[in-house]
Amino acid sequence: MSEKVLLKGNIAIAKAALNCGCSCYFGYPITPQTEIGEYLSAKMQEKKLAYVCAESEVAAINMALGASSTGAKVMTSSSSCAVALMQEALSYAASDELPIVLVNVMRAGPGQGYIFPSQGDYNQATVGGGNGDYKTIVLSPSSVQECADMTYKVFYLAQKYRNPVILLVDGLLGQMAEPITIKDNPYPNIDNSSWILNGAKNRASRKIHSLEPNPSILEERTLKLHQKYLEIEKNEVDWEEYNCENADYIITAFGSMARIAKSVADYYKTKGLNFGVFRPKTLYPFPYDRLRELSKKTKIFFDVEMNLGQMHKDVCQAVSQNSQIFFIGKPAGEWLKQDEIIKAIDNIFEGQYATSI
Amino acid sequence: MIKNFIISGSGGQGVLSIGSILANIFMLDDLFVTYCTCYGAEMRGGAVNCEINMSDKEINTLQNEKVDFVIALNQASFDKFISKVKENGTMIVNSSLAKIVKPRDDIKYIFIPFSEEATKLGDIRMTNSIALGVLSKILGNFKLENVKKGYEKVLSSKTELIQKNIDAYLLGHNLK
Repeated sequence: MSEKVLLKGNIAIAKAALNCGCSCYFGYPITPQTEIGEYLSAKMQEKKLAYVCAESEVAAINMALGASSTGAKVMTSSSSCAVALMQEALSYAASDELPIVLVNVMRAGPGQGYIFPSQGDYNQATVGGGNGDYKTIVLSPSSVQECADMTYKVFYLAQKYRNPVILLVDGLLGQMAEPITIKDNPYPNIDNSSWILNGAKNRASRKIHSLEPNPSILEERTLKLHQKYLEIEKNEVDWEEYNCENADYIITAFGSMARIAKSVADYYKTKGLNFGVFRPKTLYPFPYDRLRELSKKTKIFFDVEMNLGQMHKDVCQAVSQNSQIFFIGKPAGEWLKQDEIIKAIDNIFEGQYATSI
Repeated sequence: MIKNFIISGSGGQGVLSIGSILANIFMLDDLFVTYCTCYGAEMRGGAVNCEINMSDKEINTLQNEKVDFVIALNQASFDKFISKVKENGTMIVNSSLAKIVKPRDDIKYIFIPFSEEATKLGDIRMTNSIALGVLSKILGNFKLENVKKGYEKVLSSKTELIQKNIDAYLLGHNLK
């Protein structure tokens, strides 16, 4: 159990999903996440679990909704342009209060783009492309170990809040191998017997649907969902701080970019500058309060992303108006390297500010 | 102390096998490792390379402009990665499939005809393990026990080849 294994992020996610009781997987292959489905296609057959290679991503996620309504722990996985196809179903899942786990291993867009690395789906995941007042919980791992650990957590949060949850993974992490320990699932099982559709023998019948022609019932239902989101925002915010206490400069970054940000902070430490790194582990709910608190002491922030400034607006919203925020990013192609970020920060120090490199 | 490696060759030369074995050996030595693979659409014959970072601390520089060691198993890999070797870094070259030329004078070169050595051993497929053995000699700190475990993990579906590969590895280790 505690033995270390060298695993790709994609395989770590698939293994953890099986460990915490994922009994149905629906998916359609797309690089850079195909190994998740490939691994599960063999293992789920061995364990007599349901694996369906669907005819499209739209079909895959709607199959997930159906299976979820019966109480099965379900997962689908895809990548950026194909996750775009699933947005309608996410809105339905939120409205129907169905626990769905969606893993998005990102590639570059917009449109079909290509398989290059990018973090371009921050907005897609946190804001969402479905209709209505709904929210999707979003977790963002920065290592292969966290890919496994957070897979346990997304299944738990989906069941706990009866809501779709997205694991937003950098393509780099999906494809990179690191030594990890596959731990036991630390989360309890959530009793779903009060709502699942498992046959109405000896009980009143139940319906799960999002159509609601009665205006006051629809209003009440949407307000109830909203209350749930406030609860999630109160309970589930999670982040990592690296030397942030008393830092003169803080780099904000998510996913694997936060690790490169740490190497940048380490570099500036050798130059006598006090740099910290702030990494949201939950992108929704975003850790606004903690970042605001840090900005009372720290006056200069650098937001670094593999996109053109998507988390940037959340950082701006969090950080107090007395602090300055500089954005460093690029949309796609080769991953931003330590020396490129250092060069961009040095340029900012010298007064030459460009919004992207 | 972070060290990084690129292993490169063509599909079928076992680039990813020894890359994965090297990463496993570091893991078994309780070091931090990252291992990234890169290959074209074609498998056999296409360009394949992998990049490994190893450190005694958490690895955060996930992508490198330049690396300490490159193993090039053919001419195309030599040409592609010669510029990626750090100053004072080492280029280890399969001179059976690449010319012995030294276009840079700020790096070290090791030219060994790995393919010929493997053919002498009786199996050209052992080219990669001989190269890994040469690298291990330079790094100088692999436990043979971990090397065996590394081979066992990666070649678990080809167990009949494990001993042969370890013999080739040892041959490479003792070459220089």
